[in-house]
Amino acid sequence: MRFFVLEQTLNYLINNQAIDISALNGKTLNFSLADLPLTMCFICGNDRIFVAKNADPNAAVNIRLELNVFVSLLKGANLTELLKQDKIVIHGDVKTAQLLVDLLQLIDIDLEELLSKYSGDIIAHQIGGWARRFKNSPLLAVVKDGLMCFQIHPTKPSRYKNNA
Amino acid sequence: MQNTTHFGFKSVATEDKQDLVKGVFDSVASKYDLMNDILSFGMHRLWKRYAVAAANIKIGDKVLDIAGGTGDLATAFCKKVGTEGRVILSDINATMLDEGRKNLINHGIFGLDFVQLNAEYLPFEGGVFDCVSIAFGLRNITDKDQALKEMHRVLKPGGVLLILEFSKTNSELLRKFYDFYSFNLIPKIGELVTNDADSYQYLAESIRKHPDQEALKNRVLDAGFDFCEYHNLSAGIVALHKGIKV
Repeated sequence: MRFFVLEQTLNYLINNQAIDISALNGKTLNFSLADLPLTMCFICGNDRIFVAKNADPNAAVNIRLELNVFVSLLKGANLTELLKQDKIVIHGDVKTAQLLVDLLQLIDIDLEELLSKYSGDIIAHQIGGWARRFKNSPLLAVVKDGLMCFQIHPTKPSRYKNNA
Repeated sequence: MQNTTHFGFKSVATEDKQDLVKGVFDSVASKYDLMNDILSFGMHRLWKRYAVAAANIKIGDKVLDIAGGTGDLATAFCKKVGTEGRVILSDINATMLDEGRKNLINHGIFGLDFVQLNAEYLPFEGGVFDCVSIAFGLRNITDKDQALKEMHRVLKPGGVLLILEFSKTNSELLRKFYDFYSFNLIPKIGELVTNDADSYQYLAESIRKHPDQEALKNRVLDAGFDFCEYHNLSAGIVALHKGIKV
């Protein structure tokens, strides 16, 4: 349930912006934070992505990084640069990791909500976060449909620009 | 020695369970939706809505809804897959399927296929569906493991199985209230509305006999699914298990 909104948002993007994720089909990617007990497993197949809370021991790619690096990555930091600086550890195919990072960079993830369970944040922060996102979201109609409450960036990173 | 299985708290011959379950649903079919609304205080609509959202259905997808009854999930799936997709509403019980068909026509929803089938032997080729769903139906199936294997077989790689089912609440206080409600009030409401207390006694008992969240997760994995996670809804009174075939 924890990653439900993230999963919904990713699939909404894939469908509505006609993003081709066929290169990810059949692959699973683990994403873990070194300084928090947070792991996400992205299971890709049939042109959709499922987000699970348990790591897959047979994942094609394992990405490990610290929270501050994760934040900078989501804000658009270059994966290759972070790799050069040893700020991120990737076991597996870097190209596949790059595809997932590009997808994650499309959405404005509310880290406050995502991490509050782990960092001991208070409920008021969550409520505040939800309220802000609800107010700002251009996808209000979708929110009303009970699906999601993320703000989605209007642009895509270059990797996906030709796929629309 | 005769093989036995459970029918609520009773032990019955395995080959008899299907007919006994049929009797229950023949009896309640005409007031099934009304009773669901009354007994769950309308919550079943939210649980189903959550399940549909969790499926990540796309336009053009093929969806099989097993034990689909009066068509709540199938209706929602129909809107998601659009005219390019296909939704099959299936149920082992002809009376329930007939209620489903009438219900959908009354709501102006056309274009679904209706198939009467036994979930233990799905009459479809392997790897054809993007999503298979079963809401509040798995606990009534005699051989659940066989049914889960069939669901896995008919899914495409990357396909998703959704099992929405009553489960075990993790709150002791809620469990006490829920037990009282289930065994004292539900049969009485059943008698009042459908003139059939026994069927609703079975409902309460069959929920208690159904595997809990972790046990069902393991059975989904044993059936061949690569991943399975569950989401507790309403403090675990209901759980949505999501199995993924990679």
